[in-house]
Amino acid sequence: MAKKSNKRISFQEWVEQNVWGLVLATALVVSVGGIVEIVPLFYLENTFEDDVYPEYEELQGVRPYTALELAGRDIYQREGCYLCHSQMVRPFRDEKDRYGHYSLAVESKYDHPFQWGSKRTGPDLARVGGKYSDAWHIQHLRDPRSVVPESVMPRYPWLDESTIDGEGMEKRLKAMKVLGVPYSDEEILGAAEAVEGKTEMQALVAYLQVLGTMIQFEPGRDYRE
Amino acid sequence: MQAKQQYNFEVVKWFAYMACVYLVAGTGMGVFIASQLAWPDLNFDNPYISFGRLRPLHTNTVIFAFGGSTLMATAFYVVQRTSGVRLWSDKLAWFTFWGWNLIILGAIITLPLGLTQSKEYAELEWPLDILIAVVWISYMFNFIMTLSVRKVSHIYVANWFFLAMMIMITYLHVVNSLSIPVSMWKSYSIFSGVQDAMIQWWWGHNAVGFFLTAGFLGIMYYFVPKQANRPVYSYRLSVIHFWALVFGYVWLGAHHLQYTALPDWTGSLGAAISLAMIIPSWGGALNGMFTLSGAWDKLRTDYILRFLIVSLAFYAMSTFEGPVMASKTVNALSHYTDWTIGHVHSGALGWVAMVSVGALYHMVERMWGTTMYSVKLVNLHFWMATIGTAIYITAMWVSGIMQGLMWRAYDEYGNLAYTFVESVAQMHPYYAMRAIGGLIFFLGAVIMLFNVTVTIRRAIAKPSAEMATAANI
Amino acid sequence: MADNNKNPHDCPDTGHEWDGIRELTNPPPRWWTIALYLSGLLVLVYFILYPSLPLVTGNTKGVLGWTQINEYKEDMEKIEAKRAPFEDRIEAMSAAEVLEDDELLRYAVGSSKVLYGDNCAACHGVGGYPQPGSGYPILADDDWLYGGTVEKIIETLAKGRQGMMPAHAELLSEAEVDELVQFVVNNSNGEATEAQWKLYNEKGCVACHGADAKGIQQLGSANLADKVWRFSGEPDEIRHTILHGVNAANDPQTRIAVMPAWNEKLAVRLEAEEYGDDPEEYYEGDETERLSETEIKKLAIYVHQLGGGE
Repeated sequence: MAKKSNKRISFQEWVEQNVWGLVLATALVVSVGGIVEIVPLFYLENTFEDDVYPEYEELQGVRPYTALELAGRDIYQREGCYLCHSQMVRPFRDEKDRYGHYSLAVESKYDHPFQWGSKRTGPDLARVGGKYSDAWHIQHLRDPRSVVPESVMPRYPWLDESTIDGEGMEKRLKAMKVLGVPYSDEEILGAAEAVEGKTEMQALVAYLQVLGTMIQFEPGRDYRE
Repeated sequence: MQAKQQYNFEVVKWFAYMACVYLVAGTGMGVFIASQLAWPDLNFDNPYISFGRLRPLHTNTVIFAFGGSTLMATAFYVVQRTSGVRLWSDKLAWFTFWGWNLIILGAIITLPLGLTQSKEYAELEWPLDILIAVVWISYMFNFIMTLSVRKVSHIYVANWFFLAMMIMITYLHVVNSLSIPVSMWKSYSIFSGVQDAMIQWWWGHNAVGFFLTAGFLGIMYYFVPKQANRPVYSYRLSVIHFWALVFGYVWLGAHHLQYTALPDWTGSLGAAISLAMIIPSWGGALNGMFTLSGAWDKLRTDYILRFLIVSLAFYAMSTFEGPVMASKTVNALSHYTDWTIGHVHSGALGWVAMVSVGALYHMVERMWGTTMYSVKLVNLHFWMATIGTAIYITAMWVSGIMQGLMWRAYDEYGNLAYTFVESVAQMHPYYAMRAIGGLIFFLGAVIMLFNVTVTIRRAIAKPSAEMATAANI
Repeated sequence: MADNNKNPHDCPDTGHEWDGIRELTNPPPRWWTIALYLSGLLVLVYFILYPSLPLVTGNTKGVLGWTQINEYKEDMEKIEAKRAPFEDRIEAMSAAEVLEDDELLRYAVGSSKVLYGDNCAACHGVGGYPQPGSGYPILADDDWLYGGTVEKIIETLAKGRQGMMPAHAELLSEAEVDELVQFVVNNSNGEATEAQWKLYNEKGCVACHGADAKGIQQLGSANLADKVWRFSGEPDEIRHTILHGVNAANDPQTRIAVMPAWNEKLAVRLEAEEYGDDPEEYYEGDETERLSETEIKKLAIYVHQLGGGE
């Protein structure tokens, strides 16, 4: 085979004969995409709407979950609710009609991990807070088909049978604080009491009832460009 | 006189056999959870087998237990044979084997208990994450060191792909799994919101792109020319598409987040580069297919080759479908629907599983120095796999597109035409059809496990001369 | 086994061999190479047209000036323009006026199917018939707790309902409870005895349920003189309702009957107007508005037309 003077081939020749060179070259090449897509999300101001519009007071409404709500969120994750329900309203007219205002990045900033979901076997839940009564949620979780006959959701009767571990919740709030979620000392110290005697069902309902309620959207205002 | 050195195929045999077992377990679980969507009473009001807890067990079993065992079997097999040396460390290889299976056992126990980090394909809690990192590095290091003591001058292309897979998965796993533990089995991701979403899908898509694609292209590059006994069509093509893929694939993660609260610019990167990945991906499909040039008649009698070649057809199709779905316009329809599931399974069943099966049958024959106990069953398996896959993906294409269209349908006055629950009701027959497609695929896997088991038992009972020479360099 | 088939791409190999595998030096197919370059070009063009590249501050905006939100706003304009002919008219009219207009009435009912289905049906069921045993009021009959005029339905939707019946477990003896259960059962057939009526009056049931036991709509109390049951007509269930009340605080066994508010701002305004006051004085600024006023108007018309609107 005629020797090519193409620089690329000789670099290729080199890596094919040098495993550590191949390792290094590959490691460098695969790093680029991740760095370009991920790192700017941490420093670009236009990632979070409250940085873009600090004058919009309603965006300051996003707050950490209460101890009970966080307990409920942990149950939501445990039961895999995110596998069938998304929490991300897209800026589409049909989603505006069905679910409400499109979701903002700032709304999930305290969600460790995020719960945007990837599938809608069931409806989006980003703004389900306040839509149904607590009693309906309990009924629905115990037996979805008792209120929505077409539903394929499993029943969750075991949620009534356990209570939330107060000491555990205190630890969890502390961990969240380490991650930057601004819990106050009172909230952390009061966590155990806040969940005292509450069932997993009550916790999950508390979580569901807060979803999408933290921001009081002003009609006619654009929150993203 | 040169001492005859033996390849270490023992660990490969164990990985290969476990891969066959996990294929049955993983697809069986898939059939069960698919059935739960069609007939929800199959959740039995039991937390440990409810859909939400079993779905991660299904994905972990098929991707990491089955896919991982296949990758470990084939990487160790291929690197030895193409380097002309035994594995650098037997001990490390066994550590990898037992470690990997311990992780799988950990998944089987913890996931139904609801112990999860709730990030897709990265659900296992932090103690298992640490074990994964350790075991994975043992796998990668052994592989690299084996290459470093190779007896050939150049590293064969299959190994570049395996290597890229191993390196990238290390990165992805370590970064995406970063979390703060609050107890032995509970932790919180250190990332949150939109940043966590991007990191998760950088992981999620590259788990597909590197674990399930680059790694299996490595498999393809060895087993297709070996089974067909033909040279690879184009060295140059393999170089170009290798670098294009390992550079480009990484950017695709953002396409999982089109029209979300992710900034516009990130979504654009994901969409544009996804579209640009069709050609590099097809490079692999072409190189594999053209290797059969002038020898297509082999497909009439060589059923193992059928698996390998048909897998490339599915690969080409999926790597076209994926980028199309990654574009913002199509994604606006497809996101959150069953179409995504259909796409995943055309890649997972059509490409990944079928190329694995071809490789596994090939390795069983070589390592045990025999032919398959029943060639007819191999062919039956082939048809069941192909038909099962086709039924599955057709069901999901129809249901997915229907869902997407129903959600956005307006009547002539500009009002929504369908309630959400109406779309759910329409899904049922397709959920049933999908479960049936999966069942056929699963039964094919059962047939494979049976065939492989009998083959091995007979070969062990009556070891052939071929088995001895297979292990020799 | 000898491979007798000639490879049409007969070409020298690279000179390397791995376990019998060789690689030929065929170039990639021409169309593939061209397509690869075109792919690169596609990416470049995309980056020029659309917002794509992160910079030190901000990102490239793309020459098309496209953003998700601009696209959304354009779509919203289009759909709102499509709806405008009917929606604007409905917005400008009162619900009662819409009821009088055949064309608008048909539109209001027809266009509310999904609004009702996605918001109301989860409790009240498709067509106003809740799932048996679920315990939500039937909307398709002419039995109304708070009133079935379209204005009343609007009020119900806007502010929600959370009627309260005290728990009577501590207030009545067992014998009295038995007798009152009997009263309710009998009265549904119009056969309550004088003694039962006496007990009904003495124990204060009359205060909420009215002198004729037909319910008082201002309070949302149930009509005890018919066969339409808010919870159940089974004697044991009636007993439970009497003992534990409805939405009674401090009784864990109380019946829950909560309807969420769909537009608190509208509710506040309606209340202010009822007293002839300026709503601005009433607003606290945190009133939720899950559904718009026009959506509520249409839903009220829809529900009114489901069955027995007054």
